[in-house]
Amino acid sequence: MKKIVKQVYIGAFALLTLTTFSGCEKFLDLKPTNALLADNAVYDAKTSRALVNAGYSNLKSYSIGSALTLAVLPGDNVFFAGSQSQNIELDNHAFTVTNSAIVGAYASSYALINVVNWAISEIPKVEDATFAEGEQNKLIGEAYFIRAFAYFNLVRSWGGVQLQLNPTTDLTSLGAISRSTEEQTYAQILSDLKSSEDLLPADDGQTRNKLQKAIVRAFRAKVLLYAKRFEEAETEATAVIQNPKYALLKPYNKFFVAPFLTSESVFELSATATNAGTSGSAWFPASGTPRGSYEFRPSNEIINLLNDPAKGGNRKSLIATRGTDVFVNLYHTVSPNINPAYVIRIADLHLIRAEARARKANPDYAGAIADLNLIKDRAEATLYPVGNTDKDAIVQSIWDERRLEFAFEADRWYDLVRTEQAEEVLGVSKNFWIFPIPQSDVLSDPDLNGTNNPGY
Amino acid sequence: MSLKSILKYHIADKRLLFILLTSFSLLNVAWAQQKISGTILDDEKKSALQGVSVRQLDNRNNGTFTSATGNFQLSVPKFPVTLEVSSVGYETQQIKVNDDKQPITINLLVLGNFLDEVVITGYTTTQRKAVSGSITTVNFDERNANQADQDVVKLLQGKAAGAQITATSGTPGGGVSFVIRGNNSISGSVEPLYVVDGVFMNTSLPVTGGGGNLLSNPLADINPADIESVTLLKDANATAIYGSQGANGVVVIQTKRGKRNTASRINFSTKQGWSEAVNKFKATTGPETGQLLKEAWVNTALENGESIGTYLNREKPTNWDLVYPFKDSNGDVDFGRDNIADLPTYDRIGDLFQRAKNTDYQLSLYGGSNTSNHYIGLGYAGQESIVKPNKFQRFSARVNYDNNVTDKLKVGTSYSLARTTRANVRNNDNDPGGIINSAIFPRSFLPIYDANGNYLNHATFNNHLRLIEHLDNNYTTWRNTVNLYAEYSFLPNLKYRTSGSFDYTSNGSRSFSDFALSNAGAATASNSLIQVYTAEQLLTYVKTFNEKHDFNVLLGNTINVNQSQGVSASGSNYIFDVLREVSSGGTTTGGSSRDENRLVSFFGNAGYTYDDRYSLEFSLRADGSSRFGQNVRWGYFPAGGFIWNVGNESFLIDNPTINGLKVRATFGYSGNQNGIGNYDALAIWSTSAESYLDQPRLSPGRLANPDLTWETTRQTNLGVDLALLRNRFNVSLDWYHKYTTNGLQSVIVPSRSGYSTAIQNYTEISNRGIELTIESMNIRKNDFSWSTSFNISNNRNKIEKIPQEQTMGATNRGTSILRQGYPINSFFLYKQLEVDPQTGNAVYEDVDGNGIINYADRQILGNTEPNFIGGLTNTFTKKGFDLNVFFYFTQGNDILNMHNFFLVHGGTQNGIGFDPRQLNRWQKPGDVTDIPKMTKFTLNPEQNNSSANNYTGQVANLSSRYLENGSFLRLRNVALGYTLPQDIASKLKVNRLKATISATNLWTLTNYKGLDPEVSAQSTNQNTAGYDWATVPQPRTFEFILNITL
Repeated sequence: MKKIVKQVYIGAFALLTLTTFSGCEKFLDLKPTNALLADNAVYDAKTSRALVNAGYSNLKSYSIGSALTLAVLPGDNVFFAGSQSQNIELDNHAFTVTNSAIVGAYASSYALINVVNWAISEIPKVEDATFAEGEQNKLIGEAYFIRAFAYFNLVRSWGGVQLQLNPTTDLTSLGAISRSTEEQTYAQILSDLKSSEDLLPADDGQTRNKLQKAIVRAFRAKVLLYAKRFEEAETEATAVIQNPKYALLKPYNKFFVAPFLTSESVFELSATATNAGTSGSAWFPASGTPRGSYEFRPSNEIINLLNDPAKGGNRKSLIATRGTDVFVNLYHTVSPNINPAYVIRIADLHLIRAEARARKANPDYAGAIADLNLIKDRAEATLYPVGNTDKDAIVQSIWDERRLEFAFEADRWYDLVRTEQAEEVLGVSKNFWIFPIPQSDVLSDPDLNGTNNPGY
Repeated sequence: MSLKSILKYHIADKRLLFILLTSFSLLNVAWAQQKISGTILDDEKKSALQGVSVRQLDNRNNGTFTSATGNFQLSVPKFPVTLEVSSVGYETQQIKVNDDKQPITINLLVLGNFLDEVVITGYTTTQRKAVSGSITTVNFDERNANQADQDVVKLLQGKAAGAQITATSGTPGGGVSFVIRGNNSISGSVEPLYVVDGVFMNTSLPVTGGGGNLLSNPLADINPADIESVTLLKDANATAIYGSQGANGVVVIQTKRGKRNTASRINFSTKQGWSEAVNKFKATTGPETGQLLKEAWVNTALENGESIGTYLNREKPTNWDLVYPFKDSNGDVDFGRDNIADLPTYDRIGDLFQRAKNTDYQLSLYGGSNTSNHYIGLGYAGQESIVKPNKFQRFSARVNYDNNVTDKLKVGTSYSLARTTRANVRNNDNDPGGIINSAIFPRSFLPIYDANGNYLNHATFNNHLRLIEHLDNNYTTWRNTVNLYAEYSFLPNLKYRTSGSFDYTSNGSRSFSDFALSNAGAATASNSLIQVYTAEQLLTYVKTFNEKHDFNVLLGNTINVNQSQGVSASGSNYIFDVLREVSSGGTTTGGSSRDENRLVSFFGNAGYTYDDRYSLEFSLRADGSSRFGQNVRWGYFPAGGFIWNVGNESFLIDNPTINGLKVRATFGYSGNQNGIGNYDALAIWSTSAESYLDQPRLSPGRLANPDLTWETTRQTNLGVDLALLRNRFNVSLDWYHKYTTNGLQSVIVPSRSGYSTAIQNYTEISNRGIELTIESMNIRKNDFSWSTSFNISNNRNKIEKIPQEQTMGATNRGTSILRQGYPINSFFLYKQLEVDPQTGNAVYEDVDGNGIINYADRQILGNTEPNFIGGLTNTFTKKGFDLNVFFYFTQGNDILNMHNFFLVHGGTQNGIGFDPRQLNRWQKPGDVTDIPKMTKFTLNPEQNNSSANNYTGQVANLSSRYLENGSFLRLRNVALGYTLPQDIASKLKVNRLKATISATNLWTLTNYKGLDPEVSAQSTNQNTAGYDWATVPQPRTFEFILNITL
């Protein structure tokens, strides 16, 4: 009997040992089925295209979400009527270091930058005969533009930021990078735009939702305006305005009617049935069809301005009334929601040029008023008196025009800060003209030295 | 009992069986009546015992009770016969009687002390006196089933020291959080491992979503009526055998099995009852709401230094007429007194609640022959929620069967099948569309219907009646839990056990939003299949040498595979909303997912006991997990224990007061890998086929973490077990200290990396506490008994090391914080010192003293950890009556009352009404209150004692004003039962008949001002407990229960 016991023991042990050291390791190696398992998955033309398309996709998400929220809620055209704290804080200019809208915008900007950093670093290394002529350069050029765009969003929201120009391969690759100045950040943006323009192929006659050289120039005009380099801004704006591909459309509401991508649009990020666009649900009233949450509401002031024929003209089509509720009707398609993000319209370039002409060292007031009046004329509003040379008055009326022209696009708050009107118009002291860096970054990134923007 | 005597008993038992068997076969032949007479005595005192039940074992209907002199007479059809003799407080005995030649005398032994109880120690059972670990057993019987809850975890609350169980809402089948001895982890799971009849249970939630609200408890699939006992393994040595799975404790559930050699019985029971809300939400009346709003506008204009007219013209919302109905006949703003006093009041909250029906039927059949035993149980439970229109239903079936094939081979199975449905689940009470919010948030003067009788929505909220009537959101879970085992004894002391089990869960959900709820209809259908396979091999060797040296050795191996796969489909753009299938939608999409993890474990355990006085135990377990990197996937977890059974020392063995005393000490390590993703160690790139312009996308998804490995908890446990006063008073006291290292955490990384978090081994957390359990038989007489069971425990949790503090909770409001040196689930708020009686503004503590109130002034002002929790059960029996009174209490935890957070908003929330607490606001200089004056926002939000920070600004209601003490004492259950006397029952041809009336949550003592202190609305995240937010309160339930045994 003892013998049998011993044998059983030995047998059991042998079995256990066997399973442990031969089969186990293999048994425990499991791989996911729905994600690519790799440190670097960019190796051919298809994956290169897909990587850059991820950049576009993130850019679209940002533009229909964070960009709009951060630009309209702190502004004076829209007030927030819901209960979410982060939006109430934005509306009240009580920007907190943990505000999830601010934190989210900051994080998603850098997530976007990481995607295009991968593109900039890896696509040049890819060798694939199936790339079309110049396609590889085009993809890299697009990536450079998207990076510039993301840094522009960062610099106008948070001031000079850390310039992360290499892809994150692991956390130790982050390197020690401290914050750049605002000037350095703008310099990086302009340098990326230069790279982009150099790499992109010649423009075609119809594309408005993928990169074109003209888009780079239009965006550069805007960046230069923010950087207060008016002469160059005028040059860039003029180059785009002279491009026959773009035109101001009449009436005003033509640009936001499906199927969109009108000749008014310089850069538009399109939505499709499966990839939804700017949601109207925050803007629609709670009763009636289509139904929304009516959390983003037009302010009394903007309603009065838009309804004033002399000022708003036919831009009153931006708002509509249901019962007693006045609501914004710019993002109006539902089921499917294919409202695009209107990133740059030709109207913007006219107003950029108008402002640049009025504010440059040798002002061109007549040119400025001509551009301003093109916009007013298209909106069927009262024209600005020709021949006026009062710089302050002209500039102010250009700014006031921007408020109406881009009333519910991602512009107003940034404009008030850029033009230093925020204190006067909103009562926000200069300390709070840029958002706080997220508290989680201040704590987790030693290169921020534990400090936030002044005032936070 | 020594092992030897167990064996002897076993042999005696065998003979008994043989005799019984023969008696069965003879039953039909002989039917002559013979009479047995005898006397029953207390073995110790040799005094006569009255009221002792004496019954024929194979026909319990044939029985009698002893008289005041301890005598009885019983007629039996034939000899030999076996009698069962039982009485409260005594060991039940079976006596074989061969003839009626002379009266018999039976000595009943006083029940042994609890150290002799047999307890489950994981994989095996052993006597409590040989257990070094901290183990709590809760026996389930009718008394547990008196409580209205249909969920084994909820029924455990207050019954086991060290188990903190919180029902997160009063929804039937709803979420329950269960933590044993405190949270060990931040991102790893803190839930215990559940083992039902040897099957490792999957605990994936059948219902997810719900805005942070834990909507379901997967263990509600288990019918509590089938449960025999629940054992909690708490310390490192007790859980060692479950190694990596055991760091958070192990809950071993045993279901009922028949007993061999007992006649088959059929038991039927039913419960019928109703539940209702104890407290309901409250809202200010129309005129009160109007007055508050008026004050907000007037105060703010004053604060701005402008006229009310100017202020209104700039700020008044376009739908002023509706939201602020203060207007004169011209439609201009008019705050006139009558305008406000005449405002109507519409009651929405009343529509929310209902008197909910509870129904429960149980049918079971159990018994056994001399070689096999069986239990078959069928059950149905139906519970409506007190908040419309949710309903929980469970159909369950169980078959447990064991067969002794030969002397050496035993095989058996536990099979259970359950179908659980949760109908019309409100998925999103925290959202504006949720039913509770849609009823409590709209201002009470706003009408529910328009002039044509159509539903009206207000502000961002849907119409509550529309939601109640149109909700179509249903979940069905099919769960199959199966275990098959075989046990072979090579030698009397060497046993091999092999067991295979699987837990198969299929969760299906269907929902449809018709045209009343969505613009063009939206449907979703999804199914997930979760399968847990466990194969287990176990070799045990038990041997006693020279009557003084007991050895036991256990070797084992388990392989555990956990697979889940899901498919989902959604449809939108419907033409008709009567066609509710996904396929009827104009646009349909679908998806599928699959993932898997595996665990291979080897373990061994060895114990040595000398003379029933000293024991040493040691165990070691090695686990390999597929979740971790190849070089670090194996974890080794040793544990050991020591017992000194002082009671068996010569100086105590005959002590009349101390009947048993045992001192225990254990130390060991256990691991945790649950709660993180299956592939978190691997770098991935994510893709999707249709992204921008419907072209594919590819982007970096996660960084590799090849060093990701086991979270390890080491635990020291010291304990004493004591039996006093003829074993009528049993005490267990445990002290423990747990320290977790390499804690799994989603660590925040700098945003500029492009990532927000990365899962890492970093955190260190400690838990220490004391647990005390007292079982007392206060009075034990033949016709009256009173027993008390009491437990109390405390736990101190502390984050010892964390990479950086992290705020979370309340939908991005960051009201909960993880900070070094503080417990998990601490509340991070501004401290309101007072409301300045002169200005009416809130004054907050300026922690850094720089004169402004901003983030630097937020502080930790409380946490959800109670100072102590416990339960007290008193049971009284008198004649056929029994009364069971169970209290549960928790003391010292805080709750963030999010209803006040939203509904005491001072006028800043544009579309929301008020809770009556807002009426306490400051109104005029000299008022002393904690609610600041009504104001909408004004600028300069940093200033202290400024109206800007009253309800918005930097503070934005993140104030201690809404933090409340959540302590309570609750009469969880009181039940009065009556069992029909045996003789009457026999005449009715039943074995036993019992009727009970039961009330659950009858009475609560608390200072908490919300509806119910037992709440945790954000509990899908273990680090954000203690929020009261749009949650169904615990209902008060009355039930009538009937139990019939045939």
